[in-house]
Amino acid sequence: MSESYFPVGPGLGVEENFLSLDDILMSQEKLPGRAESSLPRLAFALGQGAGAGDSIPEGSKLEIPLWLAKGLHDSKRRIISMELPKIYREAWRTVFSADANVVDLHKMGPYYYGFGSQLLNFDNPENPEIAQTILQASDGAKLEFHWTFISRFRRIMDSSQNAYNEDTSALVARLDELERALFRAGQKGLNDFQCWEKGQASQITASSLVQNYGKRKFTDMDG
Amino acid sequence: MEPAEAEFLAEKELVTIVPNFSLDRIHLIGGDLGPFNPGLPVEVPVWLAINLKQRQKCRLIPPDWMDVGKLEEIRDQERKEDTFTPMPSPYYMELTKLLLNYASDNIPKADEIRTLVKDTWDTRIAKLRLSADSFVKQQEAHAKLDNLTLMEINTIGTFLTQALDHMYKLRSNLQPSEGARSQDF
Repeated sequence: MSESYFPVGPGLGVEENFLSLDDILMSQEKLPGRAESSLPRLAFALGQGAGAGDSIPEGSKLEIPLWLAKGLHDSKRRIISMELPKIYREAWRTVFSADANVVDLHKMGPYYYGFGSQLLNFDNPENPEIAQTILQASDGAKLEFHWTFISRFRRIMDSSQNAYNEDTSALVARLDELERALFRAGQKGLNDFQCWEKGQASQITASSLVQNYGKRKFTDMDG
Repeated sequence: MEPAEAEFLAEKELVTIVPNFSLDRIHLIGGDLGPFNPGLPVEVPVWLAINLKQRQKCRLIPPDWMDVGKLEEIRDQERKEDTFTPMPSPYYMELTKLLLNYASDNIPKADEIRTLVKDTWDTRIAKLRLSADSFVKQQEAHAKLDNLTLMEINTIGTFLTQALDHMYKLRSNLQPSEGARSQDF
């Protein structure tokens, strides 16, 4: 009847949730940056250069995953500097403010909201002239997330509460992971109600976890 | 909360039956029931009424509001108003389903009643969604909805609370974070 497994949700803010699978997958997304000092013998580890001894010269462009960027980010020892990926910059922000519903957020990186929240909380304004711009830009972008989420909320609610027993893949294709979780919650509410109305709520069914377990056992016996 | 749990709570409501057996007053933890005399109407909770009906020991009398005329009035009023009208019973959906499933022979025009209740339900759910949407769009701090029943709240509850949760987290990102979270080794 009730859930047997409660997944830990993503932390949508300064800190990501350590135990959240969504956050772990999200931190694998890459962002562009450049090396501020030369990185000896690390070319292979960072995916550039074939030999084990190659080093990355200063100023070269890198794409590194978020978890690595957060770890290497330090205001005192300038190892790397990160830039905002293009979908979080001015150009895309105007698209979002025009109409947030048409954007395919899944293509923009399936963790648009989570990744964006992380990004905007760790940028390091070293250069004082850039600092103001970044602060404003990041504030603008933070507002944008909030607003994008709100404008897409209606679409998610309507589609999740009305699509009963239909193929929902077309509807979820343009949502990012956070919105998909919401969509599933809405669908579940709807399905539970319909199932109750048909009288299936009082029928005893095997739990999904036990069913999977049972399948494996049969193959063990057969093979 | 599941719909089945809401149905369980709804079964505490009282309904009138006409038993065909006789029994003295019974003392249960929740209160006394009876005495039961054949042919004399008595009020019992729905759970007992359904059980007796399944064993063919009684005849169910539909509640006052379960009547085509009344339900049509309620449906029309629901469609006219922008806010939620008070429902004849806080468990109208569950009672309709239970009584019409188990005792449809005792209820005249059962199919029409089912349709009318479904229409009213659809109208109320549509109003609820509209209200949730405007709540989120205008980022209000709180909203007050009168005359909602438990089943309606359940259908939209999980979704709405999760969405508001996410909104809150995204909005609290707007507060400037004091002190960089830097780790010096």
